[in-house]
Amino acid sequence: MIEVNRLIKIFAGRGQVVRAVDEVSTQVAKGEVVVIIGPSGSGKSTFLRCLNGLEEFDDGQVIIDGIDIAGSKTNLNAVRREVGMVFQHFNLFPHKTVLENVTLAQRVVRKRKVAEAHDKAMALLTKVGIAEKVNEYPSRLSGGQQQRVAIARALAMDPKVMLFDEPTSALDPEMVGEVLDVMKQLAREGMTMAVVTHEMGFAREVAHRVLFMDAGKVLEDAPPARFFTAPNEPRAQAFLKQVL
Amino acid sequence: MALKRQSVQWPWQGLLIVILLGLAIGLWIATKQVNYEWRWERVPQYFAYQDEEPQTAPFAGTVIKISPAGDASQVTIQPESSGLPATVTVETATLKVAVGAQVNEDDEMGATRHWQVGPLTQGLWVTIWISFVSGFFGLIIGLITGLCRISKNPTLRGLAVLYIELIRGTPLLVQIFIFYFFIGTVLHLDRIVAGIGALSLFVGAYTAEIIRAGIQSIPKGQSEAARSLGMSAAETMIHIVLPQAFKRVLPPLAGQFISLIKDSSLVSVIAITDLTKSGREIITSSFATFEIWFTVALLYLVVTSVLSQLLFWLERRFARSD
Repeated sequence: MIEVNRLIKIFAGRGQVVRAVDEVSTQVAKGEVVVIIGPSGSGKSTFLRCLNGLEEFDDGQVIIDGIDIAGSKTNLNAVRREVGMVFQHFNLFPHKTVLENVTLAQRVVRKRKVAEAHDKAMALLTKVGIAEKVNEYPSRLSGGQQQRVAIARALAMDPKVMLFDEPTSALDPEMVGEVLDVMKQLAREGMTMAVVTHEMGFAREVAHRVLFMDAGKVLEDAPPARFFTAPNEPRAQAFLKQVL
Repeated sequence: MALKRQSVQWPWQGLLIVILLGLAIGLWIATKQVNYEWRWERVPQYFAYQDEEPQTAPFAGTVIKISPAGDASQVTIQPESSGLPATVTVETATLKVAVGAQVNEDDEMGATRHWQVGPLTQGLWVTIWISFVSGFFGLIIGLITGLCRISKNPTLRGLAVLYIELIRGTPLLVQIFIFYFFIGTVLHLDRIVAGIGALSLFVGAYTAEIIRAGIQSIPKGQSEAARSLGMSAAETMIHIVLPQAFKRVLPPLAGQFISLIKDSSLVSVIAITDLTKSGREIITSSFATFEIWFTVALLYLVVTSVLSQLLFWLERRFARSD
């Protein structure tokens, strides 16, 4: 479903050149859940953002469902329709109600009718447990509720892949669970997911594979059982010692 | 003892009243000094006045009957030569003939009165609609220029920067003259069109900077979220960024449009009869210089206050989602 070949992203500025993503190659199969972990500044978020072209990478290839997203004939907007993304800071549209947040892109991008978009939104908001808040504005919701709305908003486009960029990092501890539960349910339903997170429990329980990144490179690529018990890389061993 | 103390307000409010009273007395003494005779009763007629239209006899004859009908009177005249009598309706207060009077053709019998809009009202209306039209075009110009200003295309960006710098770096009065005498002559523009054009371009440049700042103040995450859903750059701008940006820039925009109403007084230099020009014209005939300028100032104040209240109300409405 996702294929990444020798992806390179360089940030240059103030005389510094940072290779945020340094020749990363990997692939994510249909229905697979891949969790990307690593220390701060290791390039995991940048890598994830390259997957739907939010970050313009310098070299390499990202192929989503057979389409090279950097191809000269590729309509990037059409690719993004198929790739949902959930952000650390939710990024809900504050001037729209919860319902409008979930229906807007369906209407504008998918050209769905009002009733169809509404039904789809209600079904998804019920699924993530926010059905009673549909007419509230995002500012009236807790962080956990906002993030669940953000997930519903992304799912409303019927994406083939979901990208999660530290979806629980900005949440109060007691709200992390409700968001992770929604993500676990998605994983069980067979959604292809790439998740950047610091939730080791989630990685251990849900992930099919764990990628460990440091300094822009993928140092480990292993099933969680092996990664959490016997990582090969000393850097990964040190990281796990810190977080577990 | 609590840190928060109830501060006493009334001595300060009293002081405020004393200062205001002092100012008023000072003003009164100052006008006494220059021996100015205030004639406020002359002012209302410039808002609206009763125009008298003389009514004359259609032919020579004798007034045979005057019958009152409300404030008016119907004067019936029997012609000297044989024929049917005719009636003329005039205001009773202006009646100049009595029953039995002999009248010649075209003799004045009295007059009818009707209300006429005075020059101050006309000038106020011109000021309001010129400001409104200029504000409308200025907003459109500002929106387009603001978008060009943050465009990735160097041509669009360069043009926008040049336009903004040209307008912001020169006085509006000079711009109006250039627009009227140069561009207006070349393109054969009417003075009203030239005035509106100059004001629109002026307010557009300032609006562009306000809108640019508003767009740039919207967090990047908003457009990233929209783009990640597959919206195009234009759709993101229309549905996500601009609505939020407009809400944020409403207070500075309001200030800009209030300034526009005041700046519109400068178009009086190209002989557009706005509120300021009307005031000047009235003064040449009435010599009520102080009263008219105070009245003109008050009228500007009323218009700007109403607009400011309107925009304040709009702002509160938009604040619903906060």
